[in-house]
Amino acid sequence: MKPPPATLEQLTRLCQNGDWNREPKPALPSGFAELDAHLPGGGWPCGAIAELISDALGIGELGLLMPALSSLVRAGRYIAWITPPYLPYAPALAQRGLPPERMLLIRAQTLQQSLWATEQALRCPAIGAVLSWPAYIVDRNVRRLQLAAEAAGTVGFLYRPPEAARESSPAALRLRLQAAFDGILIEIKKSRGGRAGARLQCPHSNALAVPTPAAARA
Amino acid sequence: MLWLCLRLPQLAREAQAISTAAAMERLAAWAYQWSSQVSYRLSDPPLLWLELGASEHLFGGYAALLEQVQAGLTQLKLSHVCALAPSPHGAALLTQAERQRCVYTRPQLRLRLEPLPLEWLELPIEVIGALQSAGLRNIGQLLALPAAAIARRFGPQTCRYLRQLLGQQSDPRTAWQLPSTYQARCEFGCELRETTALLFPLQRLLLEFQGYLRGRDCAVLRFTLKLEHYRLPASDLTIGLSAPGREAAQFLQLVRERLHNLVLPAPVCGLCLEALEFTAPGIVQADLFGSPAQQLQQLQLLLDRLRARLGADQVQSLALKPDYRPERAWDYAPPLQTRSGRDCTVADDYQPARPCFLATQLQRVAPPARLLSGPERIESGWWDRADAARDYYIALAEDGARLWVFRNLSDGGWYLQGLWT
Repeated sequence: MKPPPATLEQLTRLCQNGDWNREPKPALPSGFAELDAHLPGGGWPCGAIAELISDALGIGELGLLMPALSSLVRAGRYIAWITPPYLPYAPALAQRGLPPERMLLIRAQTLQQSLWATEQALRCPAIGAVLSWPAYIVDRNVRRLQLAAEAAGTVGFLYRPPEAARESSPAALRLRLQAAFDGILIEIKKSRGGRAGARLQCPHSNALAVPTPAAARA
Repeated sequence: MLWLCLRLPQLAREAQAISTAAAMERLAAWAYQWSSQVSYRLSDPPLLWLELGASEHLFGGYAALLEQVQAGLTQLKLSHVCALAPSPHGAALLTQAERQRCVYTRPQLRLRLEPLPLEWLELPIEVIGALQSAGLRNIGQLLALPAAAIARRFGPQTCRYLRQLLGQQSDPRTAWQLPSTYQARCEFGCELRETTALLFPLQRLLLEFQGYLRGRDCAVLRFTLKLEHYRLPASDLTIGLSAPGREAAQFLQLVRERLHNLVLPAPVCGLCLEALEFTAPGIVQADLFGSPAQQLQQLQLLLDRLRARLGADQVQSLALKPDYRPERAWDYAPPLQTRSGRDCTVADDYQPARPCFLATQLQRVAPPARLLSGPERIESGWWDRADAARDYYIALAEDGARLWVFRNLSDGGWYLQGLWT
């Protein structure tokens, strides 16, 4: 029989990890202070799947990841893009601190292949983050990916259509993304070890990520 | 000198007379990883000799070496009998013994041979018959006779054989030579219709290939696997690696991915493995802390797996190109290449911001209702017949998406180029 937690801090860990002896899982700061404040550990969960349920394409759902991805690339890791709906545009990525040669663009013909490629990429320690746009998946597929991410400590971002918001999912983090005036509206649907239900707004990242010529010279 | 003799009764049973030679060739190439002096004889059962005296020290003693060879044979799923003796003939003879098949010195060998029956000797049948009718039963009795008398009665070659058997006279053999290219074939007794059924013979082929690569101390970047059909041209599978490799397990994984989505045009009756080019092995030592080199190796393994299953051109990386037209300012690049030539990102600080998503093809759209910013004029390309004169805007769509659109100045139409996301 384990002794009960003695301090409030241990109680918090028990709620977050299911074990108060274990250190909290590392997190990858998202680069948005408002969002980090709402995520357990202060960032995207490492070794887990984050689902991004976006109402439409092009509302800033990719810009939300850019600061985190650029910190991963600076640490020498690679980023895998699996079946993106549009082409990742190399000059834009370079402007946001992502060198194009660090990107791996993987295309697949079928859903099965794309899930397989996502899992393989998640299991590779040289890859920092996997961005995947699977066509239609069920929670069994997500669980498999979640296990793969846990094994290697990679962050997996799954982009899912708005219908997915109604279903349950084993992903550690689920965010609903909606367009807002001059920014993106985020609703936390599920957050393992954190609190769900919060709504917040983040600014578009491209407005701040592009250095002005004066700033670049400084 | 100490000779290891392998007796392989199963090989003769499995293969037909013609392919026994091919199988022994493959096995000799495989055995070359432990000894530079390999020879074989296509008797029934076939025998394979390895000289171990020179490699004993490298592999940490006879016991360890013998264990490695036997483990290798078990991996190949070949039944075998091993014997170790200071002479090739002695080792071959001892493979017939029930036990105590390893002797290390010449006096020991003589003692071991003496109680063994006379008919195990590789002498002509009439010689054996004559000896038996003279009342001799075991080898010891024959060895006790004066050599001059044996030579007078049965010829000098009998005497030479006995001296070679005891290791008293040298027994020169032409050492088997490694071929400069590798080709291994195996035929099946039946036709295989399922790709999964191919994995068993494939495993043996790849393990033998690994032995050859280790023996030559080299690695491959690509090899070809031919699936042979009856009366039809063979289906070729070329397996490419992004870094030199020589591990059978890695090869098998790649081949399995390729076989996974292969539809056989006809049943397979044979397999052929071919490798024509070899490179130096790039061995990365295992490191306690995941070093960059190790990470790179893992990434190469991942890329190979993805390419094998999805197709070689489905895995790409990106590169920048110096051009003002957005659709030409980038290109695909093979993964894992460091940026070469001119560094294009230097100029990027002075370029206007670009969106992260680019449309694969230009789509004509209706004139946008709400423009958020613009115009940015891009006029370029008069020299290569893809002249562009465009005004770029950021437009807001009804669903909240921010579009990167342009008005073509030549025809006045609006086009969608990308998404600000």
